Amino acid sequence: MSEFEKEEKIKEKLAAEFGAAITELTIQRKNRVWFEIPADRLPELMKFMKTGLGYDHLATITGFDGGEHLGAYYHLTDTHGIISARAKTPRANPNLPTVTGVFPGAEPYERELEDLFGIKINGLKPGRRYPLPDDFPAGQHPLRKDWKLTDAYPEEAASKKEAA
Amino acid sequence: MSKITIPLGPQHPALKEPVNFTLVLEGEQISGSAVNLGYNHRGIEKAAEDRTFLQDIYLIERVCGICSHSHTTCYITCVEELAKAEVPERAKAIRTLVGELERVHSHLLWLGIAGYEMGFETLFMYTWRDREQVLDCLELVSGNRVHYGINTIGGVRRDITPGQKAEILKRVAILEERTKYYVKLGTEEATVLARTRNVGLLPHDVALERGAVGPTARASAVKRDVRKDEPYLIYDKLDFNLITHNTNDVFGRLVVRVLELVESYKIIRQVLDYLPEGPIAVKVPAKIAPGEAVNRYEAPRGEDFHYLKSNGTDKPERVKVRAPTMANYPSVSYMLDGGYLADVPMVIAAIDPCMSCTDRAMVYDNKAGKVRVYGWDELRKYGIEHYKKRGVDFTKL
Repeated sequence: MSEFEKEEKIKEKLAAEFGAAITELTIQRKNRVWFEIPADRLPELMKFMKTGLGYDHLATITGFDGGEHLGAYYHLTDTHGIISARAKTPRANPNLPTVTGVFPGAEPYERELEDLFGIKINGLKPGRRYPLPDDFPAGQHPLRKDWKLTDAYPEEAASKKEAA
Repeated sequence: MSKITIPLGPQHPALKEPVNFTLVLEGEQISGSAVNLGYNHRGIEKAAEDRTFLQDIYLIERVCGICSHSHTTCYITCVEELAKAEVPERAKAIRTLVGELERVHSHLLWLGIAGYEMGFETLFMYTWRDREQVLDCLELVSGNRVHYGINTIGGVRRDITPGQKAEILKRVAILEERTKYYVKLGTEEATVLARTRNVGLLPHDVALERGAVGPTARASAVKRDVRKDEPYLIYDKLDFNLITHNTNDVFGRLVVRVLELVESYKIIRQVLDYLPEGPIAVKVPAKIAPGEAVNRYEAPRGEDFHYLKSNGTDKPERVKVRAPTMANYPSVSYMLDGGYLADVPMVIAAIDPCMSCTDRAMVYDNKAGKVRVYGWDELRKYGIEHYKKRGVDFTKL
């Protein structure tokens, strides 16, 4: 066996359970595994990670803007290693299923995805927005690459001109 | 009995931090609660994308006013992992030292707050007086009391001299003596016991289910500590115990933090003894190789998590910060349910919440009904003018 015995085993188990759905699996180093999975299989994956693999702590969800696609990383840990599962969703109609059914603690992370990236989370129970202020303009998502401060605060451009 | 819904906060529900709770009360008892966050969102993750990797250290340091070193160390290990930089052993030791001094400072601060919330203000006065000892150590090492600025990409910025070492040991000895008193007080004092036992219960399986971290989880007998589970810096060379407790209540959280103080003193002594000779930093190019990294760090409040993506330039593509308080929030609702209104501040304070970390906003001044956004240049100009009026001229510096 290679030096990444534990990681190789995880790879095998994931392949046995999800087959070709898991793509681009890389073992970056000891305790670090990355892969991609279709968005619709996320809840199923979370369930398997929690009960089948012992990765029972969802550390956080990181949203990203990859141009044509938006998406998110789901970082899971068994306290020792971190497995990061990536799911993509088209920019034209970004949506991801909720994983709060498996990890109730994921709720604030999913609200962040909705607010900061504008990814609709299917199945997330209604609630207050987080983390942006209540009067923040609707339809603007600051962590998208094409968002500028002046989109939400046009007076910023004017004050910059004044200063110059 | 009819139910009444009341808001608690966002002004100072416990600690001087902005967070809002909606509590449903039946008489004095809580039958439901919801947490509303976001009063402190500063858009740090967006701002980080506009700055270089080096500038980001100073930005990320300001994610939190208490665990500033935790955040920079976690971020910087991601940068160094991508740059494949070999950080000198001495630098790692100094980072560990500052990290543990920070933990002592944070836990003492919490103990004071806990005393204050339970109506035991003498404890607050005592711990905050003693905390000055560790703040002096930090000032001695870094020049600052809270934002140490000791980390840089590839190492640390300041070395430890033998004189500083002796001074730190002297102060740690004082703190050790004082902590013995806190251990005794925490476990025997009638006020403390009456206000903390069986308050804010979080059973072991619920702590796991809701993803609690740090002392909050460890007080529910969850054996989780990144320093042990995935040792970073020089923690694999150090001898210390993972502290857990099984009472699942505020009392347990107090005991865990006080005993962790004792472990931290042990670590500080070991690190100062170990301190290998050699350089304190290596040069790392400004442009960081493309790639992604995730790393964790055991901050005083629990597991801190950072994700970093580089696109090969000198600025990061994406930085994600997940502070420990965020992970502990889902547990708070559980702890509050079934409890009494009078215990709410105690329970909230017991996770040692830190909103700035959690929310990370655009600065704008709502003067005379007109929204005004200060740009960086304006803020700088404002600062210079402000001090000029007071007789200090920064433009000459």
